Order: sequence, then structure tokens, then C-alpha cells
Amino acid sequence: MAATGAFRERLLSAWVEIRENLGRSTLQALGVMLGVASVLGGFSISDSQRRHSDELFAKIGGFDKLNVQPSEAIKDGTQPSALQNANLGLRADDASRGETLDLKAVQGISVQKVARARVRSPFADQDRQITGVAADYLAVNGYTLDTGRLFSARDIETAAPVCVLGYEAVSVFFPTGEALNQVIRVGDIPVTVVGILKEKVFRFRASEGNVFAWRNKIVALPATLVAERMQGDAYHRLDRIVFKIPSIDVIEKFSAGLSALLVSNHRQQEDFRIDDVAKRVRKRRSQGDVYNLVFMLSGILSLVGGGMVNVNIQLATLKERVREVGVKMAIGASGREVFKEFMTEALLLTGLGGFVGFFIGVAFSKVITTVLEVPLYMDPKSFVWAFLLALVFGFLFAIYPAWKASRLSPMEALRYE
Amino acid sequence: MPAIIETTGLTKVFGANGNAVHALRGIDLTVMRGEFVALVGPSGSGKSTLMAIIGCLDSPTAGTYALDGVPVQGLSGAALARIRNQKIGFVFQSYNLLPKASILRNVELPLLYAGVSRRERRRRALEMLEKVGIPEKSGVLPAQLSGGQRQRVAIARALANRPALLLADEPTGALDSKTGAEVLELFKELHRQGNAVMLVTHDPHIAAMAERQVELRDGLILGPESAAA
Repeated sequence: MAATGAFRERLLSAWVEIRENLGRSTLQALGVMLGVASVLGGFSISDSQRRHSDELFAKIGGFDKLNVQPSEAIKDGTQPSALQNANLGLRADDASRGETLDLKAVQGISVQKVARARVRSPFADQDRQITGVAADYLAVNGYTLDTGRLFSARDIETAAPVCVLGYEAVSVFFPTGEALNQVIRVGDIPVTVVGILKEKVFRFRASEGNVFAWRNKIVALPATLVAERMQGDAYHRLDRIVFKIPSIDVIEKFSAGLSALLVSNHRQQEDFRIDDVAKRVRKRRSQGDVYNLVFMLSGILSLVGGGMVNVNIQLATLKERVREVGVKMAIGASGREVFKEFMTEALLLTGLGGFVGFFIGVAFSKVITTVLEVPLYMDPKSFVWAFLLALVFGFLFAIYPAWKASRLSPMEALRYE
Repeated sequence: MPAIIETTGLTKVFGANGNAVHALRGIDLTVMRGEFVALVGPSGSGKSTLMAIIGCLDSPTAGTYALDGVPVQGLSGAALARIRNQKIGFVFQSYNLLPKASILRNVELPLLYAGVSRRERRRRALEMLEKVGIPEKSGVLPAQLSGGQRQRVAIARALANRPALLLADEPTGALDSKTGAEVLELFKELHRQGNAVMLVTHDPHIAAMAERQVELRDGLILGPESAAA
């Protein structure tokens, strides 16, 4: 049939029919428009929000970090066993061995040892948190160097009396700005400032405060220095090890391997805690699913509502067109042909309505995301989904009137006044 | 010459039981190929019903009917549609053109349903418009034509698939006498070219133009047929 252009002819007469009854057709297409707009807009808003929060998470911590912290192995009310007492907790060794589990996946290790001490400079004297760092702490936590240098491997190894200051720390301890190579006292240890970090700024929305203000307060010393000279800890126990693993697919496997490694390394004691990665991965993957479902449902509801309006209008107009159907049948149109003609018209209307719905949906998403201060992101898949749903419902609701038209008796249709 | 229409004992009953209406009470009618027959009778005589059955728009309650040698009673809707498309050309009193389609598309429509290719459709539709004397109107809409012209378009459409039988139901009923005469002249011309024409009318003067009159009264064919064949 395609060769005869029958489809083309049906499309053409459907178009004429729609054009000639513009008001009615618009009314009929309205449900489709709103349905498509609702599905598309809903998906896009949810996608935009998700992508935005992904970006936020990446910036403020990310999904790509596996935290290991020491924890009590002793249960409440029991005496620690000899093995438990002999354990040394989380150490630098755990970090370096952990890395060898999957050298490719681990993109960085951050090692941290915290302490509190009085920090004194010629300008200020404050009680501060001191961050003992090793390995890639500064890089993994997103710090970048402004002037000077970061810690060298030798600084860490020898517990050199050096420090790196955050943006805020510099402004407090050296308001003049000339901090490099100055000496500050951390507790009773004099340390030389070898590096100054850039300011870290992050705002959820332009109008809100800097979430990272606290990070600019950092006073970083080699972890070894903190352990040996501030805490007298010859074993260099750590407060936190972070493995940076960008691939979400391997993180779960790595986590299991690390847990086994650490247990064997810690005399079969589980005196550490690894983040529940599986949960995080699940959450990450399912985020927004509920919203998508809700939006899809509301889209479907408006498509159903629109569809029912459509059926009514179509049945009412069928009355006006009974004679036309009769003539076509007399000329030789079969019921099937009449059915196809009505379906073509309904589907063309759905297509056009869906197309307009795209624009409404885009505009709708744009407005909402602007209000939410979230950058708009539209997944091509949302367009496909919205259109498919519209087509499916358009098709379903077109069937009844088209079937009804196709079942008219040619004789009665011709005589219909 | 073979028969184009051959019916035996055709009956048609509308309604059921108590209020059944017997529109046809046993019609035996034979029309040969190339005949020009007028079906006459007052309204209510059953001529419209007979025409609908002959036109395969309706099926008889009982009796047999063969169109061009093919028995059509009991055929499916789709098969009847094909027969209407291929073998019968309808001309109605009220033209029944599709108002939103151009003249050309109106004439092309039966060809489209027959599955004729686009190019061939166009060619044949133009040829038919030429035949009925209005080749220059192909691009306009029916509303822009006079009644006589519209009926010519309807005839062109009826002729498009070169049907074995032209069925015209009061084709001049909506026309003034002058244009009506012209349209009748066209039918005569088509008859001379070998088309079988069946004209349904209540007007004896129009019926007189046909070579044979079949008169219906109360669902039966009246008196001895003036058979010309």
C-alpha cells in the first residue's frame, strides 16, 4: 500500500481535517500537550535536581570516597581480650597495604590525624584544630596550593616541623598576608609555614553562604609530627584513612577486600569501620526514581484525562461525519480503511500535541529550575518517554471512536441526516 | 450479452415481528451489460432499498443477487467494499462530494481505495474530469462549483474505476431543469459508450429517457416489464 501513497493521502486528509477544525483540534490535543509537558517537565526537573545534587556531592565529598575510621572492638560491659588490647588501631601501614588491593582503582589516599592545640603567631593566639596529614590528604580533599609548597615525602617521613595554612588561617595568624617562611607555634612546637592554600568556596545557591568556610581554617602539619611530638604516639595511629575511588562499580568490591585485609592485619579484630558503600551506591542509583515515578504518573493521569475528553469529542464529531463515512464506504472504502483514516487523524493530532507539549515542557522546566536555582538539564530520554507515553495513550483512546466509525453500515450512514 | 444484474426473489424486511416492514417482496430483475434502465416508482415503493441492495450497500433478507455474474449475498463487509469500489459507480442526488478535498482528490478517492499508484490516479482522475466536461476545475473545492458541475464531478468519481454499473439515485433531483437535462445527456452519452446505467427516479419524464423502465410499487415490480433486451 505504501507505494500507492495511501498513507500519505490519509495523512493529508487528516491534516486538512485538523486544520479546518482548529478550535476543536486544539481542545483535543490539549490533554496530550499537558501530558507530554508534565512528563517531560517532571523528568527534566527531577534530572536537573539530581544532576545538581550529584555535582554538589562531588564537590562537598563525593560518592567516590571510601572512609575508614577506627572503632571500638570491645562490646559494652566486657573486658577487652589480650588480642584486643594488643591492637594498635588504624595505622599508615593500613593505608599503603590497602592501596595495593587495586592500584588502578585507587586514585588517591588521604591520611588524617587530628589534634587540638594552641596556635600562636605574632598576630594571634587561638585554640585550633590541628590536622595531621599524610599521603594525598590535601589533593583528595580538594585543596589547591596558592603559594609555597606542599609537604614532601621527606617532611612526612622525618616529621619535619613545617605547616601549610588554609586561607582563613592565614588571614587570622598573618593579617598582613606575609605568612610564608614565618614561624608559628603549634602547642609548644615551632613550625615554619611552607605553603598557603587557596580559598575554598562552595555555595549551594548563589544567595547562600560558603559551605566550605570551615575548610579554610585548616592548619596542616605532617601526621607524623602530630603523632610523635604532640601526642607521643610512636605507632603513628590515624584517625581516618580515605581511599578515593572514582569508579562506582568497583568500590563495593574494593570495600569488601579492604575489610578482609584490615581484619587479618588487625589480629582478626574488627576495630575499624568502613562506610556502607553498598547502601550509598544504591541510594545514588535510586535517587530521583520516586520523583520520576510521581511525575510519570501525573503525566499519565493528564493523558488519560485528555484521552477521555478526546474520545468524547471524537464521538460527537463522528455524528457530523457519518454521512462522509457513508460516502467513502459507497465509493469503496472498507471498514478497515475508515478505521485507519480515523486513527491517522487521532495519531497526527497526538503527534502535533506532543510536539507542542515539548515546548510547554521545556518552558515549564526552565521556569521551575530557575526558581530552584538549579541548572536545567534535559535528558533526551525524557523526550522519548514523554512522546512514547503520549503515543500509547493517544492510540488507545483513538481506537474506540475509530472502531465505531468503521462499523457504520454504509446504507444507514449514507441516509444519515 | 451477459447479465450485469440478476436477482431472484429478493426480499427485504426492516424491523422484526409485529412491526416488520416489507420493503421488497420478491424482486426478479435482470439487467444486461450496457443497458440503460430507469427504476421508477413513488416514494415508499422500495426503489431506494432495491438500489441499496443492487449497490451492495445493503444485503437482502432473502433471495439471490449476482452482480456481473458474481453472487454477492453473504459476502463480508470488506469484500462488498471491494465490489462497490470496482464494479459500481454511485451518483447521488446531493452529489456527496467531500467538501474539504479538491475536485481532483474527490475523483481520485475511489482509485486510492483501489490501490492505484499516485501517478496513475492523477492521470485517470484528470481523464474522467475531461470526460464529464470540466477538466479545468481540478484544483478547486466542491463549494466553488455550481450544482451541475458538482454532479459532473460526482459522475467523474463514479466512473474513475471504470465500473460495470453506474447507479444514479435521483441525479437531477437537486438541479434546475436545464442543467438536469445536461446531466441526463451525459448519462446517455456514457450509455452510448457502453456503460450500464441504472437510474433511480420518481419522475416518469426522466425515466422515459432510458431504454427500459422498471416500475416498482409496494415492493414488487409492476406489470409486464417492457423488456428491451
